[in-house]
Amino acid sequence: MRRLLVRSLAAVVVALAVTAGLGAASPASAADEPVVVVGTEGTYPPFTFHDPDTDDLTGYDIEVVKAVAKEAGWRLTFVESSFDSLFVALDSQRIDVIANQISINPEREAKYGLSTPYTYSRGVIVTPSDVDDITTLKDIKGLRAAQSTTSNWAGVAKEAGAKIEAVDGLSQAAKVLEQGRADVIVNDNIAILDYLATSGTKKIKIAGEAEGQQTQQALMFRKADSQLKEQADAALQTLRDDGTLKRISEDYFKADVSIEDGGEAQAEGRAGRSALDVVKDQAWPVLKALVKVTIPLTAISFVVGLALALGVALARISPRRLLSVPAGVFISIVRGTPLLLQLAIVFYGLPEIGLNFDRYVAAVLAFSINIAGYAAEIIRSAILAVPKGQTEAARTIGLDYRQTLRRVVLPQALRTAVPPLSNSLLSLVKDTSLASTILVVEAFRVTLNAANESTEYLALLILLGFYYWVVCWILSIGQRRLETRLDRYV
Amino acid sequence: MTTPLVRVSGLTKTFGDTAVLKGVDFEAAAGTSTVLLGPSGSGKTTVLRSLDTLEIPDAGVVGIGDVEVDFGTLPAQGRDREARLRALRAQSGIVFQQHHLFPHKTALENIIEGPLVAQRRPRDEVVAEGRALLAQVGLEDREDSYPSQLSGGQQQRVGIARALAIKPRVVLFDEPTSALDPELVGEVLAVIKDLATQGWTTLIVTHEIRFAEQVADQVLFLDGGVVVEHGPPAQVIGDPQQERTRTFLRRVLHPGA
Repeated sequence: MRRLLVRSLAAVVVALAVTAGLGAASPASAADEPVVVVGTEGTYPPFTFHDPDTDDLTGYDIEVVKAVAKEAGWRLTFVESSFDSLFVALDSQRIDVIANQISINPEREAKYGLSTPYTYSRGVIVTPSDVDDITTLKDIKGLRAAQSTTSNWAGVAKEAGAKIEAVDGLSQAAKVLEQGRADVIVNDNIAILDYLATSGTKKIKIAGEAEGQQTQQALMFRKADSQLKEQADAALQTLRDDGTLKRISEDYFKADVSIEDGGEAQAEGRAGRSALDVVKDQAWPVLKALVKVTIPLTAISFVVGLALALGVALARISPRRLLSVPAGVFISIVRGTPLLLQLAIVFYGLPEIGLNFDRYVAAVLAFSINIAGYAAEIIRSAILAVPKGQTEAARTIGLDYRQTLRRVVLPQALRTAVPPLSNSLLSLVKDTSLASTILVVEAFRVTLNAANESTEYLALLILLGFYYWVVCWILSIGQRRLETRLDRYV
Repeated sequence: MTTPLVRVSGLTKTFGDTAVLKGVDFEAAAGTSTVLLGPSGSGKTTVLRSLDTLEIPDAGVVGIGDVEVDFGTLPAQGRDREARLRALRAQSGIVFQQHHLFPHKTALENIIEGPLVAQRRPRDEVVAEGRALLAQVGLEDREDSYPSQLSGGQQQRVGIARALAIKPRVVLFDEPTSALDPELVGEVLAVIKDLATQGWTTLIVTHEIRFAEQVADQVLFLDGGVVVEHGPPAQVIGDPQQERTRTFLRRVLHPGA
């Protein structure tokens, strides 16, 4: 019994180590250059987005932070995530700097280390095209504003008396506005121009200036990392002096937004493409994410989860209260709390008490614990469903506890457990999409990024749904084969 | 005078509020067959299961060969307790009313499981022995059959072979024919009778009175958790001294009368 528990635990540790190896796919760092992890949305063109042709991460903010890194001697790793998650990620040391048009305001200056500004911009108010009576911030009082909740623009809208409808990024906000689910957006002038140019939409328009909202954007570090901030400031000064910033800005905006009054920014947008083209372009990247991240994440979590579940189930059945009570509590907690919450606790919460896991490890840990809670009950009832006479017969021919379990009870319990365990596995395949909330770039995140970028939500989400369905269909065929095999002696 | 192979004394066992055994004493010599008779609830099955430690008596002594366990002084838990119970368990093999064969193993695999896994003996040796046992119970051509592919009588005969395979000092039969269709009872009883003539020591709980008369060297009649009467079958079945024994035999031999 104890040895079985120890073995289960050992299996867990090994699997975690393996995933840690997987997660450490970030480039090996040269000894002398510090690795700086950059957090960015990757879905906020023209500042941070994926080039539709090459799928490479690019944009004004990306090029600026790359130029800064070159000056400061950093090696960069990029992590993409929704805007709201960037702040938690910075706090929990998942990332070291945010390059995502972070507007300077007093609250942020108090809490974080902000570089000198590299963008000067202003806010605008966006409304549906057929609305004429909203032109100033005063007019949005009481209206529904679609905003990323932690963004500076959400603060501006809230200040003006609007109700915030939380979204994941600008193109989602625009969709929501077009669909009539919100009344207004307050956002950066350049970003809006880019969206209008790219999407070609006539349904929404810039209705007016968010007066008094001339803002400056900067790189944001943790307050404690003052050395990184100072290096960034020095690098920005050099880049300003040698004209690099101006050149990058003019590439994107035909104006220098890195200084005040550098001219009126323009956005060309990117060529609009048909939904079919977008789906064709994304079919491979999404499939790649499914095969390289979603499926391994599912497989490893399921195996680790089952090993844990066996230990928990045996502890639960044990006559010793020292084992059965904790097992019962564990099951109750896992089944009584949302998976999303469990992920957030492992990834964002545990670092506060010094347990800082890589995002892939954190995902495997949370998913395995979740599977363990549910599968433990399945295994427990499957074991109890094996007739008592089987255990008695095994004991009378001299088998000990472990031999009885391994050779007599578990093979028979397996037949009972396969259908419900298959259900758990199918659920897990799809539940891994929740890992997108803890910076894991799996199939759902890749699809959502592409959808935010192209604004082709329906087509891309159906594509992803189709992929998930195929994986589950293949698994259910496997389940049927396994059941047939196990039925051979019944 | 030699010590009897099986020695049971002062065995008591309570399930909840019900005292099932109230002090059972008997002995059985090596190479003999002992049949336990008695109405349901008399405790005969509990006695049998106690010998194989499937039940742990509250008090009393069970001795088989050199192994003796005093349940009154047995520690409540720990290695010592387990070691003693394991030693006693190894002395006997049991055949269950519902064969309890392992459904996921073939007839031969069922038989060699004990010697191969628990006793860690070499495979070719235990396979040869297993085949011999299958032949002994008349199933030499069914070694690859799963239990579900065998008739009830065949299943029970494999069950007997499995019990014999661990080379026990005593073979215990817990109502081995009660769950069988009547036409299958004969083949199983024939195998048990063979064992008795080959010198195996057997303890048999059964309701087959005629069979008991033929095979038993000793009959124990239990009622209310004690041995009411014991002796050769001619005495206990042929000429019972106790009223309770007579009542029981009347009911069993003339049901519906």
